[in-house]
Amino acid sequence: MKQYLYLSLIPESLIGSQLPPEEFGNYYAVGTRKRTRGQAIFFEVERFESDYFDWSELERHCVAHPDGKPKRSAYMGIYRVLEHVPLSALKKLYLVTDDGRVLGLDRAEFKPEPISQYHLYQELCPVTPRVVSKLDPPEFCKSLTDRSKTVSVDKLVFTELTLNRLSRDPESNDVGDLPYPNLGHLRDCLREIEGKDGKMNKQVTRSLTGEVLFRTIKNGFFAGNGEDFVYFPMPSHDELAREHHEWWRSALSTFGE
Amino acid sequence: MQAALVWLVPISACVALVFAWKFYHQMIAEDEGTETMKRIAGHVKAGARAYLMQQYKVVGGVFLVMMLLFLWLAYGLHVQNGWVPFAFVTGGLFSGLAGWFGMKTATQASARAAKAASNSLNHGLRVAFRSGAVMGLVVVGLGLLDISVWYAVLNIFVDNEGPEKLIIITTTMLTFGMGASLQALFARVGGGIFTKAADVGADLVGKVEAGIPEDDPRNPATIADNVGDNVGDVAGMGADLYESYCGSILATAALGAGAFAGTDQQAAAVVAPMLIGALGSLLSIVGVLSVRTKEGANMKELMGALNKGIHLASVGIIIVSFIILKLLGLENAAGLWGSIVVGLLTGIGIGYATEIYTSHAYKPTQRIAEMTKTGPATVIIGGMGEGLLSVAWPVLLVVIGTLLAYGFAAGDWSFSPDTMSQGLYGIGIAAVGMLSTLGITLATDAYGPIADNAGGNAEMSGLPPEVRQRTDALDALGNTTAATGKGFAIGSAALTALALLASYVEELKIALRHLKPERLEVVLQQLNIDSMEAVEKANLTDFMNYFEVNLMNPKVLLGVFLGAMMSFVFCGLTMNAVGRAAGKMVDEVRRQFREITGIMEGKAEPDYAQCVQISTMAAQHEMLLPSCLAVIVPVGVGLLLGVPGVFGLLAGALASGFCLAVMMANSGGAWDNAKKYIEEGHLGGKGSAAHKAAVIGDTVGDPFKDTSGPSINILIKLMTMVSIVTAGLNVSYTLF
Repeated sequence: MKQYLYLSLIPESLIGSQLPPEEFGNYYAVGTRKRTRGQAIFFEVERFESDYFDWSELERHCVAHPDGKPKRSAYMGIYRVLEHVPLSALKKLYLVTDDGRVLGLDRAEFKPEPISQYHLYQELCPVTPRVVSKLDPPEFCKSLTDRSKTVSVDKLVFTELTLNRLSRDPESNDVGDLPYPNLGHLRDCLREIEGKDGKMNKQVTRSLTGEVLFRTIKNGFFAGNGEDFVYFPMPSHDELAREHHEWWRSALSTFGE
Repeated sequence: MQAALVWLVPISACVALVFAWKFYHQMIAEDEGTETMKRIAGHVKAGARAYLMQQYKVVGGVFLVMMLLFLWLAYGLHVQNGWVPFAFVTGGLFSGLAGWFGMKTATQASARAAKAASNSLNHGLRVAFRSGAVMGLVVVGLGLLDISVWYAVLNIFVDNEGPEKLIIITTTMLTFGMGASLQALFARVGGGIFTKAADVGADLVGKVEAGIPEDDPRNPATIADNVGDNVGDVAGMGADLYESYCGSILATAALGAGAFAGTDQQAAAVVAPMLIGALGSLLSIVGVLSVRTKEGANMKELMGALNKGIHLASVGIIIVSFIILKLLGLENAAGLWGSIVVGLLTGIGIGYATEIYTSHAYKPTQRIAEMTKTGPATVIIGGMGEGLLSVAWPVLLVVIGTLLAYGFAAGDWSFSPDTMSQGLYGIGIAAVGMLSTLGITLATDAYGPIADNAGGNAEMSGLPPEVRQRTDALDALGNTTAATGKGFAIGSAALTALALLASYVEELKIALRHLKPERLEVVLQQLNIDSMEAVEKANLTDFMNYFEVNLMNPKVLLGVFLGAMMSFVFCGLTMNAVGRAAGKMVDEVRRQFREITGIMEGKAEPDYAQCVQISTMAAQHEMLLPSCLAVIVPVGVGLLLGVPGVFGLLAGALASGFCLAVMMANSGGAWDNAKKYIEEGHLGGKGSAAHKAAVIGDTVGDPFKDTSGPSINILIKLMTMVSIVTAGLNVSYTLF
């Protein structure tokens, strides 16, 4: 039976499994019976050389059950996992809704959007603050993974959330369907980076308290380490409704913070 | 001329039934779609059939007991007309039949409407709407047929001569309304509890706990939810309006027979409401046939297509009712025509007022939506507040409409006792006017759940996005018509109950006539009436004086309090019933998720039938107490406080019940649409904290708008009907 390796972002962990990605995503979100429920975001990872992970443990634990059923999950690590997984090992990114619908995203080249002045980033791993920034995604990633700075991480996975008109004008009243709690505070944060020269980022919330509303994903997901940067674009809402209807309906049923 | 015109009633009934049959067969001839679509529709059909069979078993038992009771009252105690037990049963039977046919059509139509929407929006609309029209036309067809048959039978068997004959015929026919009322109450309360137990249960575990979207086949309660749309909004609404339709025609005929007794106008006054109903049914068919839309139509255009049919029928009835009143040779034809027009306009006005308070295109619902920004508590407060405010317009419209209908028909505005009977007849004929186009207005109501189920079927069957877009558009239209339909049902119930209340006095007169001589002597003595001759000559005001029906009589006031209490107790019982039944559904859905492996992966099918069974049994169990209370209380009050107490009870129940029904239906509708407003992308849109608060408001509002609120319509009519049927008991036996 084939072995798969998954890097879960929420919570951070490396998991071996004999389930292919769609089945693993469903299992990971809802369990074997409906006793658990929770959104999941994970990468399928190619086996890589590592001193940090003991692959023999994987060979020992990730084996089929005596009745022939596949092993669903064998945890390989739950601490500082991301920093020990090379970006080159990341295959597809999977987004799982809390009732177990799975959408796979492929890598693509990132093309920056010129009109956005301000960005809202949700960091997903290894830390989960929400930050407004004047930096575009590659610059933001470089800034946060610059280990010469006091506040930095080795590697970062994050996504950009939509700001609608606020991305150009923090004073705009046309916020439409922005679902974020306390929009007043979000505006204050935007005003702060707008007014202060040299201030590029401002933390909006310290950690992710609810689930990520997939409909608010602006362009996709990013993973990076300094100059190394990979991008997993999110399909447009129209494409999601047309091509991934079940996943999209499920995603729209999720409540955020 | 008059004798020839009367034939229009059974002919129209048959034409309506033939068109219903034709529309049914047109729908059946449509493609039901893929195997998956058929399988899903099959689950809903089986669930709906199982529910109705179980309900008819319980209701059959109650009807048997009631019939035996009426037989004893009629032939044992001689305090009741001997036809009542049989008329009671036929009323219930025809109402039950209307519900059965309507629901059978609706459950057959959902998959076919979804499949038709694959071809075009217009095709989907036509299948869904004409299937809804089956319910509308079956209701008016069976109602008019029942009226025609009883009118013919009683004409043969009633021996009395002169004006008495029509009075006896019409007051006897009126009692068949109680069978329809009781059947309607069971259908509404049972259907309301079923649908909301399934809906709330499906939402609480499926959506909130499991995060499953609506109409997802993995949710064990989703089929029960779809069945509920049919049993609540098709069978329940159909039975409710069947009862209003027949009740308004029969009450008006009885009022006409009394008001014009001894004149050459009497027969014309009796058949006029029947003829207006008959012509209305024919015009409804024309209206139904005119409904169509173009491909890619937006909501406004879809609404316009439905409104075109309704307006066509309404304008038609305005024109032909004047002609028919003239042909009947009624002296005050213009005045009575004015009353009919007032009735129609009152219905339209109430529908419009309902739309203003429940549609998110208007401020009241938008205000509730704004309150979601501060959490669920303010949403609940806002919804209650707007619902309470929304009572003003319908009440004012009914007050103004009643006043105008009374004045036009009485021919003057002096409110003189001499013209009171004619004035009350005007109120009755206004109710008939409002309900005359029921064939098409009910079609728009029944269309809602069909479109809703078609959307569910399309979703569960995974039809292409463009088809789902079309079924979504049809469903959204159905949501709008459902809210205005409820307003119309409440408004017509209020006017019908007023007419029934007035005809209660006629029944008292008849009840006195039926008493055995020795008992009559005692009763006349108690009432300080010299002889039966005085009773025969007495007008309505005299009767009020005989029975001391005035506000200074404490028995009237006590009755008013008890009537007002009844509306609230009834609501409380039905609300709690939904809570308990939903709790059972929640437990069952949790059990299935726990015990059936593979539901969430889509590898195992949930046990849908078990959820339908739970809702069915809960509905049957829970509907008995409130329904029996509606029958027992008027009888009990009659035995304790006599006729004044009953008048107070009915007035209290009518006034409080009407207001409470409007408030509950509008609060529920507004909460529902506040949620939809947010889901359309306002105030944070789907998934936001505002949306979460709105969902809580909507869940609270579910039993408001679909169980308790609509059931009160029937409560007030049934209590009046029970009082009418037991009028003999009221005048014969009373403690105080």
